[in-house]
Amino acid sequence: MTTTVGLDPKVESYLAGVRAALRGMPKHEIEDILRELRSHVVDLTGKEGSGVEAALQSLGDPVELAKTYRAENQMVRAECSGSPLIILQGLRHASRSRLGRVAATALYAFGYINVLTLWAAAIDKLFAPSRVGLWYTPGDIWSFTLVRNGNQPAGGRELLGWWLVPATLVLGWGLRYATDRLAQWWIRRYRHRKELQEA
Amino acid sequence: MAITSAANSSGTSPMDKWEVQLRKGCLELAIFGCLWPGKLYGLEILRRLESDSNLVLSAGTVYPLLARLKAEGLLESEWVEAEVGHPRKYYRLTPAGRRRASEMARMWARFSATLEDLLSPLLKASVK
Repeated sequence: MTTTVGLDPKVESYLAGVRAALRGMPKHEIEDILRELRSHVVDLTGKEGSGVEAALQSLGDPVELAKTYRAENQMVRAECSGSPLIILQGLRHASRSRLGRVAATALYAFGYINVLTLWAAAIDKLFAPSRVGLWYTPGDIWSFTLVRNGNQPAGGRELLGWWLVPATLVLGWGLRYATDRLAQWWIRRYRHRKELQEA
Repeated sequence: MAITSAANSSGTSPMDKWEVQLRKGCLELAIFGCLWPGKLYGLEILRRLESDSNLVLSAGTVYPLLARLKAEGLLESEWVEAEVGHPRKYYRLTPAGRRRASEMARMWARFSATLEDLLSPLLKASVK
């Protein structure tokens, strides 16, 4: 980088604005983006003889630029990630309205609450085998007791025994897979629609 | 996203809008086309798009798009120290990117050939 641009307060102020608005993205990605933007300004002001202001104008508003980077980055990462946190970050961008974002996030969280409940049941079964199980009470609804509260249905019969452990583990994994794929489908659909609308 | 045609950068008529939409829809393919022969850095891509496809893009449009294509695994990048003393980020197509580019180019060729057949009577009539 040239000393002139490196020290230009307008460039530094612009890049600081982008950096602040990119907060939350991986640090190495932020540094990579800023390095590229700086390189762009250096090329425009040096090689092409543009003024600093014109060079910064070509990049647009720093906050809007950072928003575009963040949304694209987080949605693309979410589409191919197995991490619930990354998928959750992607979901935060995958709707036009705030209500849509909240609904999608809530649905995703609901899926994961069920996943964790199933896995908790598998673990709990190991410590309280007589109190956790799939209880069937004739003439009543199916009762799935997951906590060590000792409230087994009166006259109920436990159906799965130790099979409850692999069953809830597998079901939990299946539900997690379905929840992730559904969220990723939602993100992909939103991104493609957005691209079509912008096109 | 800021994109204009070189010929009509300030127009807002339905025709201008349609032209902008058409060009924007081809943007990814145009970037793949720029990178097909070899690696380029961001500003070179912008200038190549302007000169070879008449696409005038803002840098604020093309850099996030390049980042997205990279995140999708279609492009890869490397920093190269330029002779004048500052580093530049060069992009090139990955094997997946080359496959995607080929598919898109084939699809484009089929589509434009079909459309040309459809539009040839219309073009002949408008010449008369």
